[in-house]
Amino acid sequence: MTELARMIAGGTVSPVDVVREHLDRITRLDGLRAYITVCGDAALEAARAAEAAVSAGGPLGPLHGVPIALKDLFDVRGVRTTGGSRILEDHVAADDATVVRRLREAGAIVLGKLNMHEFAYGPEGLNVRYGHARNPWDAAAPRIAGGSSSGSGVAVAAGLAAGALGTDTGGSIRIPASLCGITGLKPTYGRVSRAGALPLSWSMDHMGPMTRSAADCALMLRAMAGYDAADPTTSVLPVPDYAAALSGDVKGLRVGLLRDFFLDSAAPEVRAAVEQAAATLGRAGAVVDEVSLPLMPQVAAASFAIVASEALAYHAVNLRTRAAEYQADVRERLMQGIVVSGLHYVRAQQVRALVRNGVDGALARRDVLLAPSTPMAATVVGEARTQIGATAVEVRPSLIRYTRPFNLSGHPACSLPCGFTQGGLPIGMQVVGRPFDEATVLRAADAYQRLTDFHARRPVLA
Amino acid sequence: MLGRMAMADDLPSLRHAARLAGFDWTDAELEAILPAVDGTRALLAALEAVDLDGVEAAMRYTAL
Repeated sequence: MTELARMIAGGTVSPVDVVREHLDRITRLDGLRAYITVCGDAALEAARAAEAAVSAGGPLGPLHGVPIALKDLFDVRGVRTTGGSRILEDHVAADDATVVRRLREAGAIVLGKLNMHEFAYGPEGLNVRYGHARNPWDAAAPRIAGGSSSGSGVAVAAGLAAGALGTDTGGSIRIPASLCGITGLKPTYGRVSRAGALPLSWSMDHMGPMTRSAADCALMLRAMAGYDAADPTTSVLPVPDYAAALSGDVKGLRVGLLRDFFLDSAAPEVRAAVEQAAATLGRAGAVVDEVSLPLMPQVAAASFAIVASEALAYHAVNLRTRAAEYQADVRERLMQGIVVSGLHYVRAQQVRALVRNGVDGALARRDVLLAPSTPMAATVVGEARTQIGATAVEVRPSLIRYTRPFNLSGHPACSLPCGFTQGGLPIGMQVVGRPFDEATVLRAADAYQRLTDFHARRPVLA
Repeated sequence: MLGRMAMADDLPSLRHAARLAGFDWTDAELEAILPAVDGTRALLAALEAVDLDGVEAAMRYTAL
């Protein structure tokens, strides 16, 4: 994305050609089910305008002419926002979401709307109505892309967009980033506006970029972030130039490796990859130690109580009148919200305060924390249980085990590739930072990517 | 105490909880979630095990 933006601005590449090539590839690889809606005509029209602007020599935004795509819960004026659901399949947005407007102002071109787990409520990324997004790394078996931003993960990994927008309530950016071998950033809660995006859980939802590198995330985040009067939870803190922070230097960077609860329960290949990544950063001058976070076993209960309550409240009207139109797993998950009491919800928010303090405490003497993004690589679609070493585990809770602590705490967390399984599936790790210090998170991720090539590898596709 | 408050371990109590929340789901719809509700109840019981004495809930509203 960063290089493409430079080439378009320099006039060496035509944005019309770039958009046309992406649209052709989207058609050719439709079997991956990355997109729900393709905005081909509008994208070509925007590309022609972008080309004219380059020819005219006027000022260009940092993403001028760069084709991106959006998880289908972000509003785009005049385009349907389905939330991946039959229930909203005819819902056409009246205006752009704040992040969409900002990305367009930066010059980005919207190619279309991406597949997702229905209403963002599932970490596998499955969708009955529009077809399951397929992980591009295994041509033989239909493997999950991870969710809920499954189409975003597939589109970026398969070259169907230069970058994508995702949302993350329990890991929905970082899980597909991990399973699809791309880089995805969940910013600090309050860094990026949620206005104009369908909610799953107002207090846990985070919007963020999904790209091929940390440098690309830096470029997108700067365009997206900042205070928005339409979202009262956004911060007034100024937005730094994240790209300028990418020095490639991690000398003296204090890295806390999360072993208890995280590395301890990961598959051996995942554990080895993350330990090797920590060693790579150490050889580059980072100071690595091990640290534990308190209350991790209670995170699942607290997260569930909050998300289930808020999601049930948001979906209450449709659950009363159109329950049969939800896909079964999402309907059943939403219905379970009725067993969460007000007391559970408040106790969960108390646990949340302790978890946040615990993460702050671990970062008091460290710059970032390092952990796997998921305990295992992509599983086969429909597989409810899998093996991690000698242990049989349930896929769904395992997928979100390492990511949701940082939705509860609100800290920024970036997933990036750090290896591959023997079967050729990507492995991801998380870099977690202090609130509103995405610059350090991205600096660490970018430095690692300058030392390795895992993020540069692409799946072989027809 | 908290775990028992959330109790909905059979169809009548689950139906009661649903109606209290304003949902008129059918018995068939409720039966479909009964096995998962048992797991949910066990999960929520974990909140009871945490000492939260004096801890203020993490709910905040920003003025700006």
